[in-house]
Amino acid sequence: MDERQRAQVLGALQGAGGLTEDVAALVGTQTGVPEAEVYGAGSFFHLLDDTAVKLRMCTGLSCAMKGSRELLTAAQAAGLPAAECSCLAACDLAPAALREREVLPEFGSAELDAAGGDWHAVRPEQAAWCGAVDALPGELAMDLAGERDRSGDAFARAAELGAGAVIAEVDAAGLQGRGGAGFPAAFKWKAVRRETAETRYVVLNADEGEPGAFKDREVLLRRPDLVVEGLAIAAAAVGAREVWCYLGAESGGPWRSLPAEIDAAKGAGLYDGIAFHLHAAPGAYICGEETALLEALEGKRGMPRLKPPFPTQVGLWGRPTLIHNVETIACVPAIVRNSGAWFAGLGRTGPGTKLYCLSGHVARPGVYEAPLGVSLDELLEAAGGVVGELKAFSPGGASSGFLPASESGRPLDFKSLAEVGSMLGSAGIVVLNDAVNMAEAALIQLRFFEAESCGQCAPCRIGTRFLREALEEAQRPGDGEARRAALRHVADAAWQMNEGSICGLGQAAPLPLTSALKWFPEDFEA
Amino acid sequence: MIQSRHQLSLNGAAVSFAAGETVLAVAARAGTAIPTLCHDSRLEPAGCCRSCLVEIEGRPRMAPACATPAADGMVVATASERVARHRRTLLSMYLADQPAGPERGGHSCELHAMADEFGAAPDWPKMAPLRAGRADPNPYILFEPDKCILCARCTRYCDEVEGVSAIALAKRGPATTISTADGRGLLDTSCELCGGCIDVCPTGAMTEKMPRTAAAPPERELEPVRTTCNYCGVGCQMDLNVDRAANRVVKVTSPPPGTTTNDGNLCVKGRFAYDFIGHPDRLTTPLVRAQDGSLREASWDEALQRAADGLRGVAERHGRDALGFVSSSRCTGEENYLVQKLARAVFDTNNVHQCSAT
Ligand SMILES: Cc1cc2nc3c(=O)[nH]c(=O)nc-3n(C[C@H](O)[C@H](O)[C@H](O)COP(=O)(O)O)c2cc1C
Ligand code: SF4
Repeated sequence: MDERQRAQVLGALQGAGGLTEDVAALVGTQTGVPEAEVYGAGSFFHLLDDTAVKLRMCTGLSCAMKGSRELLTAAQAAGLPAAECSCLAACDLAPAALREREVLPEFGSAELDAAGGDWHAVRPEQAAWCGAVDALPGELAMDLAGERDRSGDAFARAAELGAGAVIAEVDAAGLQGRGGAGFPAAFKWKAVRRETAETRYVVLNADEGEPGAFKDREVLLRRPDLVVEGLAIAAAAVGAREVWCYLGAESGGPWRSLPAEIDAAKGAGLYDGIAFHLHAAPGAYICGEETALLEALEGKRGMPRLKPPFPTQVGLWGRPTLIHNVETIACVPAIVRNSGAWFAGLGRTGPGTKLYCLSGHVARPGVYEAPLGVSLDELLEAAGGVVGELKAFSPGGASSGFLPASESGRPLDFKSLAEVGSMLGSAGIVVLNDAVNMAEAALIQLRFFEAESCGQCAPCRIGTRFLREALEEAQRPGDGEARRAALRHVADAAWQMNEGSICGLGQAAPLPLTSALKWFPEDFEA
Repeated sequence: MIQSRHQLSLNGAAVSFAAGETVLAVAARAGTAIPTLCHDSRLEPAGCCRSCLVEIEGRPRMAPACATPAADGMVVATASERVARHRRTLLSMYLADQPAGPERGGHSCELHAMADEFGAAPDWPKMAPLRAGRADPNPYILFEPDKCILCARCTRYCDEVEGVSAIALAKRGPATTISTADGRGLLDTSCELCGGCIDVCPTGAMTEKMPRTAAAPPERELEPVRTTCNYCGVGCQMDLNVDRAANRVVKVTSPPPGTTTNDGNLCVKGRFAYDFIGHPDRLTTPLVRAQDGSLREASWDEALQRAADGLRGVAERHGRDALGFVSSSRCTGEENYLVQKLARAVFDTNNVHQCSAT
C-alpha cells in the first residue's frame, strides 16, 4: 500500500461526512487500507466519529469558568444534538462553542433560546473574528499587530547567508521551541541537516489545543506571512522540499488565512521549489504531540511513538523531519533579518520575546508579546488586572498544574517555572480568582486529560480515569475521613503516571491535582 | 553464552550481546526475567503495556526493555527500588481496572500471575466499569472488553502475522477498545477465524466460545496433550486441552511461539474443528448397506470385503481405468503412499490423486 494513499484516510473520511455506516469499507477500498484500520483511525477523532453531534461546548478551564457546562445542559435540554468538547483555542473569548466545524466565540444562552431546538439556527452566520493582541514596550520578534510583509526579504537574506550561517543565527538566537518543551530549535535544524537521506520534511504543528493557549491562532490570523516565510527558511536550511502543515480542522479563520497566504506567496513567485501541503486535524489534543501528529499525517490513529528515535532522524514516513510550533517558526524571519544576537537580547531571563495568552479572571484577555521572563504581575498590569482577587494561576496550560498567587512575581520562562515543579509549556496562562475552588478546577483539568488521552498506554489511560474518580469520590458530601481515604492512592497513581507514561500527556496529567493538593489543601477539606 | 565483542552491564554483571538484540532479549538470555504483557516475539515491539520498563544509566526516564536496542557500555538496572515501585503501582492500576471476581475465562491470566509475582496493592479501589461487550454471532471467538488491557497483541497479530487486519484498535482514551469496522460481527469481515487473537491475549479478554457452551465451568483444570494437527500436511503442533474428569477435549491451543515449526500459529481447522472427536454422529464401527439401501453395523472384515468386491466388480465390467482413487488432504505422506500403492499395485491403474494437490 502506498504511504501517500494511506495519508488520504482522514481526509477521505472527512469528505464522506464522517464515520457513518459502511464509510470505513468505502474509504478502505479507495485507499487500500484495511477497513478495520480505517475505522480505528476515524473513530479516534471525535469530529469524525460522533457524526450525530452538531454542537459542541468547550469544557476547558476558561470556558467552564464562564458557565459552558450549564450551556451544554441547556442545549441538551432544548433537544439540540450537543456534546462537550475539549479546548477550542478560544479561551480569551470564553465560552466557546463549535457548530460543526465553525468555532463560535463568546457563545451565550440567549442564542440557544433563539435557536428553538434547531441546531442550524444556532448563530447561523459567524463572521470572521480574532482576539485581542497587545505587547509590552520594546522591540518585538513577531509584532502581531504589525503589517504583513510579503516581500520575501528574510528568505532572500537567508539564501544569501547559506544554510550553515542561517542555522548559526538560529543557534545564536537561542530560540527555544514554543510548542511546550522549550527545546533548542537549532539543535533540531542541525540534526535534520546532518541526515544523509535525500528526502526530508518540515512539519508545522498548528493543532493548538492546550486549554489556555490560543496564541498560534492569532499568529495564523494576523501574521501568516511570518509563518510561511519561516517555514520556507527552515525548509531551505535543512534541505527539505516539502512542508506539511497540520492545522486544526475547526480553526475556521486560520483555514482561510494560511492557505491564502501560501497562495499569495506562490503567486508572487516566492519560495520556489518548496511545496506546501495542508492537512486538516480532525480534533484530538494529543495530535499536538509531535509523533502523534506524524501518525495522524500518515493517516493513522494519533498515538505517540516511542522515542528514541526522534523525528529528526525517523519522522514523517520514516524520513528526517523538522517539526515546529507555529510561534517558533514565526520568530525565524526576524532572527534572519536582525541576527540571532538581536533576538537573544530581546528576552530577559531567556532569549527572545514570547507570546503569553491570558484568559480566565482577567480584565482584558488576549495574546501579549513580552520579553521571555516577564512575570504574571507585569502581564496583569498590561491586561487591566485581575477580575476579583488573584488566588492561583495556571502558567502554561493544563499540563503546568497550578501555582498560588504568591508566585505571581516569578519570571515566566522555561527554567524558572520548572524549578517550582511547573512549566511554561505553551504559555497559556489561566488566571483564577478567589471565588474558585481549586479541587473543582483540578477536576476540570483531569476531565480534559482523561478525554484526550490517546489510550495507548495504561498509566495514562487508566490513571487519568482513576484520578478523576478518586477526586469525584473525595468531593462527595460525607465525613472528612472517607473523603481523605478516597485520595489515599493519588500519590502512587500520580507517580506511576509520571514515570510510566509514554508521552508528556500522561506524565503531566496528574499535575493539576497534585499541585492543587500541595498549594491549596484546604480546598479539599470543606 | 554468545561470544561477542558487545557488552553491557545488567544489574552489575557484564553480559555479552549480539548486535541488534533488545535489552529484553539480552536479559532473558542472562536469566533475568523482565515482565511483559504486550511483547510477542513474532511482533514489532509496541512498548505500550509499560511492564518492562527498566532503568538505563544516563536516561532520566525508564525505558521499555522490549523496544530498546542493547548498546555497548549500557548500564541497565532491573532490580532497583524505582523499577520495583513502578511494577507495583502499574499492576495495582491494571487490577483496579479489571472486573471484580476471580473468573479468569479458563485462561491462565498473565496479568494476575504477574501481580502475584511482583506484588500489587490489593486495596486500590475497583474502578467504575466502562466498556460494554458487543454481541457477535460468530461461533468461535468471544471478546470481553472489560478484561482487555489494550496491549494490542491481538490486533498486531492479526495484521503482522496473519496479514488480515480484521480487528484494530478503535476509539480513544478510556473508551479505546478492539473493534472490527463499524463494530460488525467477525463473520462479516475478512477474519479467517484463526483464533490467534485468543492465543496471544494475556488476560482472557479474547477467549474460545466453545468451552463455555460445554456444561463444565471455564476455569477447570485442563491437561495439555501435544499432538500433530492432521487437517493438512504442514505438521503444525498443537495441544489438545483435555478435561480428564469429563474425558473431553475442551479446547485446542498452540505451543508457545519459537518452540515448534508453526511458531505458535494455528488455522481455523486446527484450533476449532475438534468437536468431531466426541460428536454423537461420529462413526465408531464400519457400516454396510443392506439390499434396501439402509445402513447396518458390520465387522471390518466384512466391510473391507464388500469394498474390495465392489471395486473389482467395476474393473471387471468397465476396465481397470474406470477406477480412480482420491486420498484426503488429511492423510499423512505415508497414507498417501499407501493409497497410490493400492491403486497401482492392487487395482492396476494410474488414476490416483490427492485432494490438496490442486
Ligand atoms: C500532550 C502534548 C501536546 C502537545 N501539543 C502541542 C501543540 O498543540 N502545539 C505544539 O506546537 N506543540 C505541542 N506539543 C509539543 C510537541 O510535541 C513538540 O515538542 C513541538 O511541536 C515541537 O515544536 P517546537 O520545538 O517549535 O516547540 C505537545 C506535546 C505534548 C506532549
Ligand atoms: S501518555 Fe497518554 S497520550 Fe501519551 S501515549 Fe500514553 S496513553 Fe497516549
